[in-house]
Amino acid sequence: MNSYQLTIKVDDKQVVLERILQVTRYRGFLISGINAEVNTGTHIGTIELMVRSERPITLLVDQINKLIDIKEVKVDNSITT
Amino acid sequence: MSDSKPLTGGGLLFEVLQQHGVEHVFGYPGGAIMPIYDALYDSNVQHFLCRHEQGAAFSAVGYARASGKVGVCLATSGPGATNLITGLADALADSIPIVAITGQVPTSAMGSDAFQEIDIFGLSLACTKHSFQVTDVNELPKVLHRAFAIALEGRQGPVLVDIPKDIQLAEVTNSIEDFSKLKNKVKLPPANVGRALALLSQAKQPVLYVGGGVGMANALDELRTFSEITGIPSVSTLKGLGAVNPDDEYYMGMLGMHGTKAANIAVQECDLLIAVGARFDDRVTGKLNEFAPHAKVIHFDIDTAEINKRRAVDSAILGDLKINLPALAIPLTITAWQQQCREMKNKFSWDYNHPGETIFAPAVLKEISDKMPENSCVTTDVGQHQMWSAQHMLFDDPRNFLTSGGMGTMGFGIPAAIGAQVSRPTDCIIAVSGDGSFMMNVQELSTIKRFQLPVKIVLIDNAKLGMVRQWQDLFFNGRLSETDLSDNPDFVMLATAFDIKAKQITQKDQVSAAIDEMLDHDGPYLLQVKIDAKDNVWPLVPPNTANDKMMEST
Repeated sequence: MNSYQLTIKVDDKQVVLERILQVTRYRGFLISGINAEVNTGTHIGTIELMVRSERPITLLVDQINKLIDIKEVKVDNSITT
Repeated sequence: MSDSKPLTGGGLLFEVLQQHGVEHVFGYPGGAIMPIYDALYDSNVQHFLCRHEQGAAFSAVGYARASGKVGVCLATSGPGATNLITGLADALADSIPIVAITGQVPTSAMGSDAFQEIDIFGLSLACTKHSFQVTDVNELPKVLHRAFAIALEGRQGPVLVDIPKDIQLAEVTNSIEDFSKLKNKVKLPPANVGRALALLSQAKQPVLYVGGGVGMANALDELRTFSEITGIPSVSTLKGLGAVNPDDEYYMGMLGMHGTKAANIAVQECDLLIAVGARFDDRVTGKLNEFAPHAKVIHFDIDTAEINKRRAVDSAILGDLKINLPALAIPLTITAWQQQCREMKNKFSWDYNHPGETIFAPAVLKEISDKMPENSCVTTDVGQHQMWSAQHMLFDDPRNFLTSGGMGTMGFGIPAAIGAQVSRPTDCIIAVSGDGSFMMNVQELSTIKRFQLPVKIVLIDNAKLGMVRQWQDLFFNGRLSETDLSDNPDFVMLATAFDIKAKQITQKDQVSAAIDEMLDHDGPYLLQVKIDAKDNVWPLVPPNTANDKMMEST
């Protein structure tokens, strides 16, 4: 089981966090931690998501990137257990 | 809209729909969408009343698939909205652009478990490309424009817009914006054409694996030119049928679980597989790690997430097929391989000999395919009749073969045919159904009657859930659990009750005249074709098996 940390920049739109969590679960990733905040000036949210899976992280990154309100997804590959 | 009435959210909906060229919508009214239906009363948009919201959703899907336009369906809150979900899931699986509008309880009542309240916005997350819930009537135009843009942009798909009743009633105070195109958020990397060209020029035994994306990209001409220039033998997915010219001498038909023997063997033996708008679906690949085992892979797609999802590729060509296919169209010298594919195609051609007097469904479908007018559109339901249609009918455009591919939804065929007929009123629309599937949206016969739609229904009737029965016989020791439908209604009487002319045939010698009568009839027609309940769909690749290890008989 590999662990990854994703940093996701989003437009602060309806249910964007719920969409990310739904995709993460459906694509076979377990969530081990989450932190989310919104810059009220720019209306851009930053979500840090710690996930675990046997599956390649690119599978999840590509699927999150397809969501409409996502601006950017970055993976910190250094966290692997 | 009368000048004396202020513009409300409901009226604005239809103004925006008309801005997007929407002439027809499919739906069913109810309490929480009454202001929209009141506005419909003054609108120029034509509404087709279906008899179940699932029928409305599938009609919108059929409309979109047959016409290339966005399909639109309407439903009320609660059960109306949940009844749309199967249609939305179907549209998501097959990348079909539809916009679903749902009424919602008033904003003040939301979250209170109000009458006919369900969180359709939450339910939509897993079965739409995107969804919106409108909280301010002045946001409604922007939301609707975005809904249409998202449905059509990139890989197409369904979008849901949930509108609370008070928003439908609210007076619009801002002017209506014109719509602007959605910017493509995903920056596709430049296509690595060089690597792909090298793979192509080195290939001795290439195969073109054509999927539904070709039709969605309107890239039939580019695909056919690519085939002609390269001479690469081709196979098709279920949803890709119609993209390749069916008369192409190196086209071997559908691959996969019920694919042709030639198509499956060619793919297993190829040294280069060129996937074009296809996604390596499990019904295509069979046992994944034994699929095309000797092949390098070039994958053309619009969706980054499909690259390397199920099969690692050697070259990914992301973006518009209309641009990317011509960039790789180079002449190849693969004469021996072409000859081998053509010989396999001839050697493994279909055999329509069927002992006895009972009707052989593949022969019926082939005869309909041969006789149906040019530019006819065939819809199917799901099961044995669907696979027989895919195998034995020929199509020259993916818009002429509408079938539920990814979701495999029984009940799709009749309402999809309604949508297709509305979008193409002068074309012959034929719904091929099975006796199991037919009963899943049989209420839509009433929609056919109401609008006198001249849909032809070919009901392949074995009084069984035939495909499940086949699998029970083959893989569950013949334990036929809950697949007997011998207590079906009298289908001819049923159709007649909806003013639909109908006929039953049971013997081979009745087939030709019955097909002629059906095709010559001006109005709707149901042809019930009784077949032997033991007939199976062959070939069949058993589960978790390589595609060249197909079963061809019991």
